[in-house]
Amino acid sequence: MTEDALIRVTEVTKRYQSGGRPAVDGVSLTVAAGEAVAVMGPSGSGKSTLLNLIAGLDRPDEGSIIVAGRRIDTLSETGVARFRRAQAGMIFQFFNLLDDLTVLDNVLLPAQLAGVRRAAARARAQELLDALRIGQHRDAYPGRLSGGERQRVAIARALMNRPALLLADEPTGAVDTAAGEEIGELLLDLNASGQTLVVVTHNPALAGRYTRRVVRLMDGRISSDTGRQADDTVADSARVQVQP
Amino acid sequence: MNAAPVARAVVGGLTRRRVQTVVIGLVVLISTAAAVLAAALLAESSAPFDHAFSARHGAHLLVVVDPAKASAAQLAASARLPRVTAAAGPFAATTIGAACSRVTVRLGGPDGIGLEPMTLAGRASPGGPIDDVVLLSGHWVRRPGQVVLQYDYMSGNVPVGSTLTVTGLPGTPRLKVVGIAASITRSADAWVLPAEIGKLRPPGTPASAQMLYRFRDAGTTAAVRGDIATLTAALPAGTVTGAQSYLTVKAKDVSRVGAYVPFVVAFGVIGLVLSALIVANVVSGAVVAGYSRIGILKSIGFTPGQIIVAYTSQGLVPAAAGCLAGVLAGDGLARPLLAKAAFSYGIGVLGVPAWVDATVPVAMCCLTGVAALLPAQLGGRLSAVAAIAAGRAPRAGRGCAAHRMLSRLPLPRPVTIGLAGPFARPARAAVTLAAAGLGAAAVTFAVGLNTSLNLVQDGIHLSKTVQVRIFSVAACGAAGAEPMLGPPGSLGQGLTVRQQNAIEAVIRAQPQTLHSAAEADVQVNVDGLAKPVLVTAYRGDAAWTGYPMISGQWYTGPGQVEVPARFLTATDTAVGDTVTISFAGRQIAVRIVGEIFSSDLVMITDWRTLANADPGLDPDQYAVGLRTGTSLTAYRSVLRSKLGPGFVPILSALGVITQILSLLALIGSLTLLLAITAALGVLNTVVMQTRERLHDLGVFKAIGMTPRQAITMIVCWVAGPGLAAGALAVPAGIALHRYVLPVMFDALGTALPVSFVNVYGSWEIIGLALAGLVIAVAGALLPAGWAARTAAASALRAE
Repeated sequence: MTEDALIRVTEVTKRYQSGGRPAVDGVSLTVAAGEAVAVMGPSGSGKSTLLNLIAGLDRPDEGSIIVAGRRIDTLSETGVARFRRAQAGMIFQFFNLLDDLTVLDNVLLPAQLAGVRRAAARARAQELLDALRIGQHRDAYPGRLSGGERQRVAIARALMNRPALLLADEPTGAVDTAAGEEIGELLLDLNASGQTLVVVTHNPALAGRYTRRVVRLMDGRISSDTGRQADDTVADSARVQVQP
Repeated sequence: MNAAPVARAVVGGLTRRRVQTVVIGLVVLISTAAAVLAAALLAESSAPFDHAFSARHGAHLLVVVDPAKASAAQLAASARLPRVTAAAGPFAATTIGAACSRVTVRLGGPDGIGLEPMTLAGRASPGGPIDDVVLLSGHWVRRPGQVVLQYDYMSGNVPVGSTLTVTGLPGTPRLKVVGIAASITRSADAWVLPAEIGKLRPPGTPASAQMLYRFRDAGTTAAVRGDIATLTAALPAGTVTGAQSYLTVKAKDVSRVGAYVPFVVAFGVIGLVLSALIVANVVSGAVVAGYSRIGILKSIGFTPGQIIVAYTSQGLVPAAAGCLAGVLAGDGLARPLLAKAAFSYGIGVLGVPAWVDATVPVAMCCLTGVAALLPAQLGGRLSAVAAIAAGRAPRAGRGCAAHRMLSRLPLPRPVTIGLAGPFARPARAAVTLAAAGLGAAAVTFAVGLNTSLNLVQDGIHLSKTVQVRIFSVAACGAAGAEPMLGPPGSLGQGLTVRQQNAIEAVIRAQPQTLHSAAEADVQVNVDGLAKPVLVTAYRGDAAWTGYPMISGQWYTGPGQVEVPARFLTATDTAVGDTVTISFAGRQIAVRIVGEIFSSDLVMITDWRTLANADPGLDPDQYAVGLRTGTSLTAYRSVLRSKLGPGFVPILSALGVITQILSLLALIGSLTLLLAITAALGVLNTVVMQTRERLHDLGVFKAIGMTPRQAITMIVCWVAGPGLAAGALAVPAGIALHRYVLPVMFDALGTALPVSFVNVYGSWEIIGLALAGLVIAVAGALLPAGWAARTAAASALRAE
């Protein structure tokens, strides 16, 4: 497993207050390319902190984090921003879309920040919107969409630059059950297409149905890790095919 | 009202918004300092003169009389005329040092530096019922051979203890300077014992004396003219040969400080408006950003009044601190400007009036209080639920259309997102525009003032057209010594024919010489004026000398003169009128054909105007104009080597005018302060904007925006308003310049040539239009950097 590890977290610790209890305490974790991993735990266990560290949104106080062969905890702010553009797509619980921009403009943003040519970026965005069945909303503003539709827009944005890694923090936490199931199926399909997935969730159903490995955190430490399942076959019917 | 919780809320607000607290304090400090300076100059531009004139019993009128035409009894009777309230004199008087009389005043021995012509009056004591002369240093004359000087004779460069030698008189009298004094009436340049006047009168000069009068009605020029007419009619014909009104003296004295007033007031007003704008912006931003907090405060029991007090105080507390510091700074700026005036009036140390120090900070606090109160009331009136709901509700999608349009532009995405930013917050964008605009208007105004004042300085010294002046060493006092480049005629030493031929030969031989003209500077008496006027006469064509013309035309022959506004005012004449001058014992009628720019009482004319009366007239110097591109120092070196040690060539460009330098320094300082204030206003707006959009910034970072892209985006938030501000500010600044500059020079008693006012070139205007952008970007860079350095995770946690 370690030979094809996309993510390697080694003895990472993160404190928000000096002298206080670490939010993440000496965590080591590897994720292989193509894995779908759920990170679970009660509130305050360090799930989101761990995700933020892997995404480079925050820096650990101790330890190292290597993603796609690059040590990201020592990169400059510019370097880590470029890493995120290229390697890590982020999906948030409350979508984090920009209300002033249309759906299409929201999706285009990562490509525009990366300097992708306009025509190529628009083609890719349209492809994603169509694949996620929200192409008809391209000129709408996020405020007018349902929770499920907004999360699809966020997923499209996260996939815009074909990242090696998709990181989702409670992707179904702010949507209704039906929409949550749709999102879950979507993530499953993406993983089936080869997308590496790390999902933070407190929803055991989501974790069980849509991921193959569950890592549990308790007080900033890994309390259990189911590891890879024996059956690594791709689901028979992947309903969403997104070209990598 | 329970003060403790309100105080805690205020302290909490101040410490949470440290940047804005500091911004308010600094902005109010700068504005208060400018306001104190403006008010002090306004108050003290004329008050010291009036105070000193009253305290020293200044003479409304100084009349020069011919004692041969009126007896002592007749002069004494003039004191009992109905309009006269007091009189003093006659004081014997004479003028020495005018070139035409061959009597010169020199510092040191007979070969010393030539000094300006000196009006001497004989006074046994400085005190009296009128014109109480104040001794500033030393003592009054006690013995023959002693002299007391007026404080500003030769710009105060002749100290107590100096020896003056009067050449050209029998015995070559020497006078020792024993004191420096100030006459509010400016009755003389120097005083000696009355018995000395006879010995110091140049041969052939008729005796004259001064009579000093105070009148019942002398408040206006017309009233003073009426008083002169009354006296002239009451005394035998020909007794009154000249008169000096105290209003002329006041105008010149007051102008020393008065010239500063218009532009300082302009800058002060800009500063006040900026302060009010920024304070209102900060407090309204705190209210809008703190809706949730206001709702929570209300839900725990804060009354609307307590909310209003808490938020108003968040503006008032730093403003009050800024006011106090601003008063000290304003006093510090005003003191050097007022000190010189105080010395000249002999009224001790002149400082900022206490009422200015008390009134200005109160006014500033009231202004900032109102600016803070209005938005604070907005927060106070909201219900708790409405406040919390307003604080938590998603922002309405304002600016969406702008985003759509700008996203189509072929520009980097951070730029287009930034440029669309102002449309989401139009009120805040307006504040940015106003702050940057006021700063840019101040810069535009200052650039114009700077250019105009430099033109004034060049115009006074003619340094762009008359680059070199050549004097004889005898005029300079010692080989190699350079005379002060003061008013022409200060040297009083004519060039001999041999010297003239030598100079003209050398000048003609230099290929860099474009023009040259011989120049004589003489003192003449003008009908109706108490003191002589300096006349500069040019031999040959002198139109190239480039005297700045205000109206009329350059003289075309003898009998025509150019004069400045001060002359026209003093003689109550206009271009086209004729005046009579006395020179070499002859009365010469001359016609005023043009008004030139000059702050002194001078006259320019053709050589023949004076030479027809005195064929032996010799030039004092040569004025030389050079071809473009000539090295001034190299030309001067050549002249020195060719002319030999008997002559001194001087570069006009070396002449400086202290008052103009002071003006330029003050303009530069005030402009910089206002530009900083404007940038602080922009900084404050960007800080509020980044705080409000911190979460969005986190999203941008999460999807891959680099720190440089974040800075670009934030700077572009203000770039649009900054550009618009510059476009609006330039015409405003130009209009302000066109209004203020003539007012400044009106205080100096002179008009300005149009060329001194129309000073903005096309490229200059384009450059100045970018000033708004520069100020806006300067204000945005710091908070942009802070925002770019914020960790993405922290930003995403912000609500």
